[in-house]
Amino acid sequence: MSDTGHHTSMPGQTLTVRPTGGGGATLLPPVAARLRPHHRGNSWRTRLEITLLSGPAIIVFVLFVIVPVFVALYYSFYSWKGYGPATNFIGFDNYAWTLTNPDFWGAVWHNFAIAALSLILQGPLAVLLALLLNQKMRGRSLIRVLIFVPYVISEAIVGIGWRLMLSDTGAVNKLLGISISWISDPKIALWTLMFVISWKYIGFAVILMLAGLQGVPEELSEAAAVDGASYWQIQRHIMLPLLAPTIKIWAFLSIIGSMQLFDLVYIIWGQYIGSIAGTSTMAYFMAQNGRLSGQLGRGSAIAIVVFVISLIVALVYQRFVLNRSTEGALTGKGE
Amino acid sequence: MKQVKKLAAGLAIVAAASLTLTGCASDNNSGNAGATSTGPVTMEFWHNGTGDKSVAYWEEAIAAFEAEHEGVTITVTVVQNEELDGKLQTAMQAGNAPDIFLQRGGGKMAEMVENGLVMDITDKIDPDIKAAYGDGAFGFDSLDGKIYAMPMSAQPEGLWYSQDLFDQAGITKNPTDMASFNDAVSKLKAAGIQPVALGAQDAWPAAHWFYSFALRECSQEVVEGLATDKELADDCWLRAFTDLDTLNKTNPFNDGFLTTVAQQGAGSAAGLVANHQAAMDLMGAWEPGVIGDLTPDKETLPDLRWFPFPAVDGGEGDPDAIMAGSDGYSCSGDAPAVCVDFLNFIAQKEWDEKYATAYSTIPANSEAMDVVEDPALKAAGQAFTKAPYSVLWFDTSLGQDVGNAVNQQVVALLSGSATPQQALDATRAVLKAG
Repeated sequence: MSDTGHHTSMPGQTLTVRPTGGGGATLLPPVAARLRPHHRGNSWRTRLEITLLSGPAIIVFVLFVIVPVFVALYYSFYSWKGYGPATNFIGFDNYAWTLTNPDFWGAVWHNFAIAALSLILQGPLAVLLALLLNQKMRGRSLIRVLIFVPYVISEAIVGIGWRLMLSDTGAVNKLLGISISWISDPKIALWTLMFVISWKYIGFAVILMLAGLQGVPEELSEAAAVDGASYWQIQRHIMLPLLAPTIKIWAFLSIIGSMQLFDLVYIIWGQYIGSIAGTSTMAYFMAQNGRLSGQLGRGSAIAIVVFVISLIVALVYQRFVLNRSTEGALTGKGE
Repeated sequence: MKQVKKLAAGLAIVAAASLTLTGCASDNNSGNAGATSTGPVTMEFWHNGTGDKSVAYWEEAIAAFEAEHEGVTITVTVVQNEELDGKLQTAMQAGNAPDIFLQRGGGKMAEMVENGLVMDITDKIDPDIKAAYGDGAFGFDSLDGKIYAMPMSAQPEGLWYSQDLFDQAGITKNPTDMASFNDAVSKLKAAGIQPVALGAQDAWPAAHWFYSFALRECSQEVVEGLATDKELADDCWLRAFTDLDTLNKTNPFNDGFLTTVAQQGAGSAAGLVANHQAAMDLMGAWEPGVIGDLTPDKETLPDLRWFPFPAVDGGEGDPDAIMAGSDGYSCSGDAPAVCVDFLNFIAQKEWDEKYATAYSTIPANSEAMDVVEDPALKAAGQAFTKAPYSVLWFDTSLGQDVGNAVNQQVVALLSGSATPQQALDATRAVLKAG
């Protein structure tokens, strides 16, 4: 929507900042520049193209995202078990039930804890690994692949695998010769979850950071090296600042992912003990009290509350963190 | 040229997208030609018999039925037990219910009846079958005097245990009250054996301990009135939670019982008993079949035995009363008429016998009772016949939503995150909200 405003300044600016190109991102502006004359010449054709190309996406988006939100809003005012049309209108009862339920707030708290811990645990580690893997060294591609493998494995397999290994009689306890309830002890369970999440998603962060690092022109670090900057000084004063936009995007994706977290918890902790072990998330709570219990109206109310919470988080982040970084990146005034 | 290509590509995308969208809607109306169908009929059948023998049983029974009924085809979907109720509920909500499905009865069935999703078969059951089954066999599958499912097995609950492990621990007499039960637990522990297997991750196995204590603590009237009782005012309910809490504090359950599932794999509660890793498991009469599927040689556990849930001191319930359920099979509200023929077919002595053998359980058809030779099943069957009254699993009688929520309170208690009083208060809140 706001793209058109930036478009005019983007190609020229990016081209001067990144003369050598290399990554996919830097290739885009020239293509856009080449296409531009067509757009100006034939406005009806432009419109047709826009309609044809974005039409299907918009239809799918409206049908499967926008419509369900309103359908959920409608059902959230009914006590409805899914059979036939909803008739039992109960006003805000489902919302009251949700918002006064301590388990729900427990789940909300877990979501935010997971989001914060993900940033704290994964962020620095991912940056360090990316800096390391950005060096020319032996076995670099192998290490890159190994770090990325957990991200590629499906959540179901990861969940079942770790559940088996971490169970009280599982491989971890047997190998270490200890007896710790990694999964069911409420004092430990959240950390167990954080470990599995970090293991699973760090590869994604590293790949993202690596892509960001490769977008940093070599000339900059070479020039700094000529000026006598040490390796760490280069990383600290050149690489990290230029990586900032990537880190912010990653953090955004990580926060969104934490808000949506469901599958790993559901698979490792099963349908019932997540809230007892202290790893239930908002989506888990919704599945439990909406789908599993058959109270679809109540589930819809929970979905709406979760939607609003996620929306607020996303908007706040965009407004205060992401916006600034894209401004900086696009206008070149960032640092 | 370029534009033409782009245009073509755009059109192709639109076309593909619309195909996908309409694709969802078009393939909905196969099968089910209605109750008076004459041509070929296809019926969809969902059951939870994941064991090899039960799968084979249904293949055989369906083949025999199809041979007798030309043009009838029954397609089977086997659904893992813990997944079945949720999947069935979702299918019914979507108006896509299978024609034939496993019926547990109680509040879950009442919900289906209320919404016209299950067929009233009261007058369609073969009179011979009705006579063979005897009075009371349809109890769990009836509502307001109407029958909605054909029971195939009776499932009294009790403690299934390994006689070898009991012998090893020096337990000579089966526990009859909590004192002797605790004594058995201590002896098993002293012998290095995990006393009781419990699949608390699935919640319902943990909840069955609460049901059983409530059955012993509460009078018949109180326990049978649960489905309509929102207050749980009688203090027997608190005593039941307290009994379970007291028992739990003696650590009778297997290591990591909170993350143990009920029936899947060697690490499950049934698997622990099947592999002599734990001595006892509180379950209904499906247990020998489930355990048999998890033994190393996939044969029934030869030393598996049964004793009823112990009596509690000062309990108001009859010590011979029994928790039970039944596996019945229902036709959906809009299933073809031949569906009932199938139910009548499998309820015959021959097929109910084979059912009981395949599932290692107690047949519902009393004429088929002779087929039970397994000593554990025999003991359970006799106790069931002798019981002054039997009570359906609470989660089944309460229905899906409330039942699950109550089960969860029991897990909270066992995990130590709730006291008996807190568990009771939470259960009361659930009953009121439901």
